[in-house]
Amino acid sequence: MSIEIKELNYIYGKGTPFEKRALSDISLTIDDGEFIGLIGHTGSGKSTLIQHINRLIKPMSGTVCVDGVDINSKSVNLKQLRQSVGLVFQYPEHQLFEMTVFKDVAFGPTNMGLSKEEINTRVKTALSKVGLNDEAFYEKSPFELSGGQKRRVAIAGVLAMEPKVLVLDEPTAGLDPKGRDDILSEIKKLHTETNITIILVSHSMEDIARYVNRIIVMDKGRIELDGTSREIFNNIEKLESMGLGVPQVTYLMKALQEKNIVVEKDAITILEAYEILKELMK
Amino acid sequence: MEEMVMGNGLVFEYHVHNDRGEVEDTFRALDGVEVEIKKGEFVAILGRNGSGKSTLAKHVNALLVPKAGTLWVKGMDTKEHDNVWKVRQSAGMVFQNPDNQIIATIVEEDVAFGPENLGVEAGKIRKRVDGALAVVGMTEYARHSPNKLSGGQKQRVAIAGVLAMKPECIVLDEPTAMLDPSGRIEVIETVKQLNKEEGITIILITHFMEEAVQADRVIVMDQGKIEMQGSPKEVFSDVSRLKEIGLDVPQVTEVAYMLKNDGISIDETILTVEEMVDAICRLKSKN
Repeated sequence: MSIEIKELNYIYGKGTPFEKRALSDISLTIDDGEFIGLIGHTGSGKSTLIQHINRLIKPMSGTVCVDGVDINSKSVNLKQLRQSVGLVFQYPEHQLFEMTVFKDVAFGPTNMGLSKEEINTRVKTALSKVGLNDEAFYEKSPFELSGGQKRRVAIAGVLAMEPKVLVLDEPTAGLDPKGRDDILSEIKKLHTETNITIILVSHSMEDIARYVNRIIVMDKGRIELDGTSREIFNNIEKLESMGLGVPQVTYLMKALQEKNIVVEKDAITILEAYEILKELMK
Repeated sequence: MEEMVMGNGLVFEYHVHNDRGEVEDTFRALDGVEVEIKKGEFVAILGRNGSGKSTLAKHVNALLVPKAGTLWVKGMDTKEHDNVWKVRQSAGMVFQNPDNQIIATIVEEDVAFGPENLGVEAGKIRKRVDGALAVVGMTEYARHSPNKLSGGQKQRVAIAGVLAMKPECIVLDEPTAMLDPSGRIEVIETVKQLNKEEGITIILITHFMEEAVQADRVIVMDQGKIEMQGSPKEVFSDVSRLKEIGLDVPQVTEVAYMLKNDGISIDETILTVEEMVDAICRLKSKN
């Protein structure tokens, strides 16, 4: 599904002494099937923006269209909208509540009024998409799982509603490196297989560089940069001035360029850096 | 050098209870840990989720006491009930989520909470609070509300709150996990400064390898045991072992490791961008 946002504005606590402008004139088009990285320091407006995409927040001015439909018009079916735009919040495992993993993931599809068979299929598919295909998990309490497993169950709960747009707000915060890589590669696989639109919010420049195709950078409620990963990570100074950074290998390439060691192109992933340096050492 | 923390044969178990309150399952989080941390040391603890890092950290602060074995903080046995307050004053703790540990509505009141509870007299509290906020660079926010601060600033306030209790050791359990890149740098710079300038012993639990390389010593935990320990160079040079455990190395270390595997004679203990640049310069000039 495509997303089209036009001149979106939002102010928290409008008319009070605590008034804070969270979004200023955001205009943005995301095509169907894109894999987007959304970055920005804390308080830059990322979370406010993503909550507009399934109408958890209504714009003060401007429009948000999902799949060509203005989601703030009266005729929109909210339930359907929130099924097609799935939002995975930060620390989603805090939202687990059911007695078993299976029931927790089934909660969404059950509310959609699907048949028992359909629910079963969806729960199993969703759990296998997040790498929990072992049936031994189904009857376990979600609370006896590890941190990484809990988070996957929570993500599966959203996937079971078969969203067409999936927004993940820092899905790997607090996970160890293996847990982080597992979840991100499963998300990548999901994107490749189903071609749904994915928006990944992250503070890890390394992860963003490795997985997404296009990066949107927010600062002070505005979109400051928008482009391919390579284009974005070329702006080291600008990113740093916004409290962000670039992957360590990109810093390495920049340092080598400053020493006049010829580096023909910038690297943003470990593999790219390795190939460039291997060539250089020949 | 004197020992700050000394652990001998530490064992700790979590119990899973069933509906009737009976123990259904037991999980051994610490399985015979021997640990020694010297005064003034900066130690990073790495390990997967569930490896026992946080359990160990909570022992240093006497939030947990070992089932078997003994842990001494400054020579005080944490199992002795009378030592608990002294232990907690010596070893302060900072947790992952800044929003869960800030309680007051004004920054300076939050920082004063610890010393107030210790029964420090009012005049001295003022001094300690001002001093602690100055150390973490938050003086200008003393009269602000904490909820308007950034994540990095909140964590620095949490650190100031611990500092105001004049601890000799601070345990930080993933203090940067929820922060953006600049917030992470702010917190780690503050931690390094506490260690270097104030001589405070630091125990830093983290999943970020770039943070761990800045420590004096790295301890790697796996399944309740200490699997590896040594200087960052010693630990991170064993890339394949770390990957086996499910951990990571800094990106430059990984690139060096891959080049080395191709037969390029590059130093495999590279940890930082600067070291990598030097190594490549040297190799290029040889060619």
